[in-house]
Amino acid sequence: MNKRLYLFLLAGCLLLAGGQAAAQSQSDIRINEILVINNDDYEDDYGHKPGWIELFNTSRGTVDIGGCYLSNDRNNLKKYRIPKGDVLTKIKPRQHVVLWADNMPLRGTFHVNFTLTETNVLYFTSSNGRNIVDSLHFPTGDGPFPVMDYIAGNKGHQVMEKGSIPHYPVENVSYGRLMDGETIGGNNGWAFLIKTTPSSNNVILDSEAAAQRFKEFDPVGIIMAMTAMSVVFVALILLYLIFKQIGRASVKSGRKKAARAGIVPHEDEIPGEVYAAIATAMYLYLQQGEVHDVENTILTFRNVKRQYTPWSSKIYGLRQMPLLTKTVSDNHPTKKS
Amino acid sequence: MNAFFSFLWDNLQQFFGYTAFANFSFGHLIMILIGLLFLFLAITKDWEPMLLVPIGFGIIIGNIPFLEGLSIGVYEEGSVMNILYQGVRLGFYPPLIFLGIGAMTDFSALISNPKLMLIGAAAQFGIFGAYGLALMFGFPANEAGAIGIIGGADGPTAIFLSGRLAPDLLGAIAVSAYSYMALVPVIQPPVMRLFTTQKERLIRMRPPRAVSQREKIIFPIIGFLLTAFLVPSGIPLLGMLFFGNLLKECGVTRRLAETARGPLIDIVTILIGLTVGASTQADKFLQFRSIQIFLLGAFSFIIATTAGVLFVKFFNLFLKEGNKINPLIGNAGVSAVPDSARVSNNVGLEYDKTNYLLMHAMGPNVAGVIGSAVAAGILLGFLS
Repeated sequence: MNKRLYLFLLAGCLLLAGGQAAAQSQSDIRINEILVINNDDYEDDYGHKPGWIELFNTSRGTVDIGGCYLSNDRNNLKKYRIPKGDVLTKIKPRQHVVLWADNMPLRGTFHVNFTLTETNVLYFTSSNGRNIVDSLHFPTGDGPFPVMDYIAGNKGHQVMEKGSIPHYPVENVSYGRLMDGETIGGNNGWAFLIKTTPSSNNVILDSEAAAQRFKEFDPVGIIMAMTAMSVVFVALILLYLIFKQIGRASVKSGRKKAARAGIVPHEDEIPGEVYAAIATAMYLYLQQGEVHDVENTILTFRNVKRQYTPWSSKIYGLRQMPLLTKTVSDNHPTKKS
Repeated sequence: MNAFFSFLWDNLQQFFGYTAFANFSFGHLIMILIGLLFLFLAITKDWEPMLLVPIGFGIIIGNIPFLEGLSIGVYEEGSVMNILYQGVRLGFYPPLIFLGIGAMTDFSALISNPKLMLIGAAAQFGIFGAYGLALMFGFPANEAGAIGIIGGADGPTAIFLSGRLAPDLLGAIAVSAYSYMALVPVIQPPVMRLFTTQKERLIRMRPPRAVSQREKIIFPIIGFLLTAFLVPSGIPLLGMLFFGNLLKECGVTRRLAETARGPLIDIVTILIGLTVGASTQADKFLQFRSIQIFLLGAFSFIIATTAGVLFVKFFNLFLKEGNKINPLIGNAGVSAVPDSARVSNNVGLEYDKTNYLLMHAMGPNVAGVIGSAVAAGILLGFLS
């Protein structure tokens, strides 16, 4: 009964984990930037300049958005199904993909069947058509709306207001996240951006490599040595403290068990090395097989192997023995032979 | 007839152009001689033959000159050697080797006397000593980190880290790490003798207590949780090391443990040794910085050994008589398993024929494996 219960529990856990894992990948996609009216901006393969929607894969693994849905209608989340089977729907880690909001779905996978001027909402829904992975309600109407610039780097983060727009939508001004895929700052990280950045990062990354920074601040490696050695020591000291306690508990419980079994520990017990030496000698005899056995008074262990061939097989050579039952005596159990 | 001979001559000339003789250089000769030296040391002197034979032969393979474009070389995409080299470049061989090491390592010595773990931590000073010196030599911090890890005396860790921090130096770092691991019996004893007194060398340590199976099972689980929470960037190495050990100790996965410590580690050792050797093409390897790396490698080994020995002497100041540690096991904190522990034992026996230190030295030795994996994780976290 218990075993069955464990199996059910295990199966349940696996199902939960599996479901979670499947949902996890598509749930890493974020609506990252939109451009409602495109007049003089990014151009599609047909030479047209429609509005666009940029999606961003926030994860460190490739995510296939084939089969997911985009919609500008809360009551019809399955408005545009991103076709499956197109290799381009696989978004690489921390990369972007742009879909054209031109209401021209026959132009290919990345042309959706609505435009962004129809409503001011946008939904990205997972392939089951029910779970809204990300949604956006973008401002429209009269402003003024501030236009923001964001610079992120090792020397700090800066959000700067760079003018404003009187109303929205306005030509060639995009609405996007200040930091790709993130919700930093007010308004969940969304703002009107100083410039459009289709298929690339919204933020200007002014960062130098970590290694370069380390050399700048720590030219002879003292800070690194102190920090790293502290971490190594902390890790091993913690292990030491834990296993010191575990060892004590183990010795105590061993003594208790021995006392319960009536075993009195002897001071002149044979040390472990002696057992180790005997075991090693036996191992060498058994496993290495290089010791000779011609001398008298030397005990040799040797593996006895019976070579199997079909010619010596009893299965092939004999008939099956009849089953006999014999009672040995009244006091002994019945034996079958 | 003339035209026939001219055609034949042209063909022979073209064929000669493809041969190694036509493309041979002095650098190739030096590298082939180095490969032969590795084979000589491995076969006649029995110095780390499991590593030096594949690496030595790999060096010879990698230094047979050829015309590029035939998909032959280790750096040519699509060649067999290049496909095998991906395990080094992408770093999936080292964790597999750690799986095998975990499955063959007995942590009993460490569990029975957990204070020996601290020696494994102290010996990691070699890594950061070499890191500082490499910075002073003008190496960028990422390359200095990759060079420093040679002092951890752990070939797979060195390959894993240099593949990520300084792929261009991978060949030189890997060959240097494995060479010095083979030279542990030569490098360490003079340092050990230099920093210990006669009285200290004769210290007898208490025999380790018997360790229960329950403790052995708990060790990899707690060890992994603790170290991985502290240094998540070390998960590939630490995870595989402790997982392999759990396979060994749990008692219900004998076949898996045997595969991990037998055929699997053998296969990966062959592939890693051969491809690392082959990656030392003369044009990429014979540079001044390779010599610098070799010098820094030797320095890091000496620092690591010194730090281990001196740490034991310092630690002994706080230990009661009878509980003191023989400083000759301090060198075993570098994770060249089990060579450095064997060196401790041999040097100890030189001074007292009945004082066997092997069992005690295995404690810091396996702690060194954990310590160097943690140190690699830290370097990766800071510098990548």
